[in-house]
Amino acid sequence: MSRPVTKHLEIPAADGDGERYSLRMGPQHPATHGVLRVDLELDGETIVTCTPQVGYLHRGIEKLAENKTYAQSLILTDRLDYIAAMANNVGYCVAVERLLSISVPLRAKYIRTMVAEMSRICSHLLWLATHALDIGAMTVFLYCFREREILLDLFEELCGARLTFSYPRIGGVRQDVTAGFIAELQRFLDIFPARIEEYETLIDTNRIWLKRTVGIGRVTGGEALSLGLTGACLRGSGIDYDIRKHQPYDAYDLVDFEVPLGNDGDIYARYRCRMEELHQSARIIQQCIDRLPPGPIVGPDTPDLVMPNKAPARFQAETAAYGTGLVKLIRDQNLYLAGDVYVATEAPKGELGFYFVSDGNNRPYRMHIRSPSFIHIGALAAIAKGEMIADLIANIGSLDVVLGESDR
Amino acid sequence: MQVQYKPRRGWLGTIFQSEILQGMGLTLRRLFSRPITRQYPDERPQIRVGFRGQHALVRDPATGDCKCVGCMRCAMACPSRCIRIRSHKDKAPGSRRVIDSYRIEALRCVYCGFCQEVCPVNAIVLTEVFEYSRLERSSLHFTKEQLLANWDQFAAQLNMSDGYVNPCWRPRGLAERDLPAPKRLPVPPEWSGGEQVVGRQWRQHLPPEQS
Repeated sequence: MSRPVTKHLEIPAADGDGERYSLRMGPQHPATHGVLRVDLELDGETIVTCTPQVGYLHRGIEKLAENKTYAQSLILTDRLDYIAAMANNVGYCVAVERLLSISVPLRAKYIRTMVAEMSRICSHLLWLATHALDIGAMTVFLYCFREREILLDLFEELCGARLTFSYPRIGGVRQDVTAGFIAELQRFLDIFPARIEEYETLIDTNRIWLKRTVGIGRVTGGEALSLGLTGACLRGSGIDYDIRKHQPYDAYDLVDFEVPLGNDGDIYARYRCRMEELHQSARIIQQCIDRLPPGPIVGPDTPDLVMPNKAPARFQAETAAYGTGLVKLIRDQNLYLAGDVYVATEAPKGELGFYFVSDGNNRPYRMHIRSPSFIHIGALAAIAKGEMIADLIANIGSLDVVLGESDR
Repeated sequence: MQVQYKPRRGWLGTIFQSEILQGMGLTLRRLFSRPITRQYPDERPQIRVGFRGQHALVRDPATGDCKCVGCMRCAMACPSRCIRIRSHKDKAPGSRRVIDSYRIEALRCVYCGFCQEVCPVNAIVLTEVFEYSRLERSSLHFTKEQLLANWDQFAAQLNMSDGYVNPCWRPRGLAERDLPAPKRLPVPPEWSGGEQVVGRQWRQHLPPEQS
């Protein structure tokens, strides 16, 4: 960035309409949800310009993926949006499957849809918890974590990890669900609507919450589109865009759900949209449980870490040398078709896209991640301009940014 | 679908602060319910089977050594490249490879469990042990002896009577024919794919003994 380095609270000469000063918020500010730095120029408490600075959590995930096989890169996607790692895993697998044109069995599709929606609930609960905490509602924070804990326990039961799941595999899922898991999930679904009711009792009509959210951070539908907002931030402005509905992947075209739309485009509308999405996600999970078909959980030609006996015919060239799947990096062999593909999925934060350029090797020539958080942070400058500094916190929370995903 | 807002607060609600009292009432109710907090160091958390924690090399009860055959699959599958294996071929005919050293850098590991899945002889395992923070980095570079000791520590707290099977060794739902012989471990039918959990819609079509 070419902005001159300014000292904290450096006060330039008054330019007639009050004294302007610059302030750096973050990267250690607790309400920036990680390591976001926002350079502010303020006139009193009004924000004149707002420049978000990202990159404090850059790990070079896109570059790292170029030196790993498609199966190995899955673990990198856990570390994008670490609050909803399962949604990233699913998005990555869907993208690679489309690149290599691999079919997924129906059972795996349903399981994936189920876990992606569980992770959406996880993410929205954490969003509500921290967003409310930023604005000053402590109780909601604790109540949301209570339900999130149940889901994390379920994930632990399913795949052995609570944060970095690496659960789906290219062409299916890693482990089948058990009766115990389904029963526990059903118990969660039975209590969950009452729990959403609790959160709403606490803040939905609370006058402090309304004062902090209604009419703040207003984005019209057209602005939201031009800023590139996706997910609940776009739907809060009344634009009907949900990839699950419009370009269905996995089993989303087989389940019945609605896309909640707001009207006002302010923080309260986005909040209402996400709360409604919690209901819809629970509905999708319920349908997945009811319709879970029998069958295999991995497709016949998965290029994942296959067992020695299970080298699919399609990848014989690769497996011949080592007797196992895409474990070894083999350079300069044309295993796949060369080409590029962009596949977008609806992550809890918004449109999560994976763009692959393949030169035929078993690792991507280039992997680009279109992460919603990065785009949303970019939109922060336009949204926060002219508002109060205290509302910046509410705006950051409402855009639901995760810096792991933004900085990659 | 348009989201629905709750009706606006009336003047009566504004004066008597009804919505705040409702919220306070909820917290008051919760105040008298059973606490859900786990007092961690005193109260042990319930770790699920297959949790991917501390690394261990399974000790073969027959030989007292590790089961590893030195095929290097785990080292190749490892996305963070934290496994280093040195082995040599024994002179005697028909003998398997001898593992000289097996090192895992636990600080680099990402706990994906790929190593367990590709291991053809179930030699490596990520145990359910999750408390192993150390004060020096070097003690988290596990050697073969430490890894075997990790297994002993884990095996001591296991009920080994019915045999331990890690879900990554034998992924749930994979057909037995897809697995190499040492991975075809005896597991419940639900695990092996024989009795899958199916939804309500499919349960009606199943024979009655399964439903």
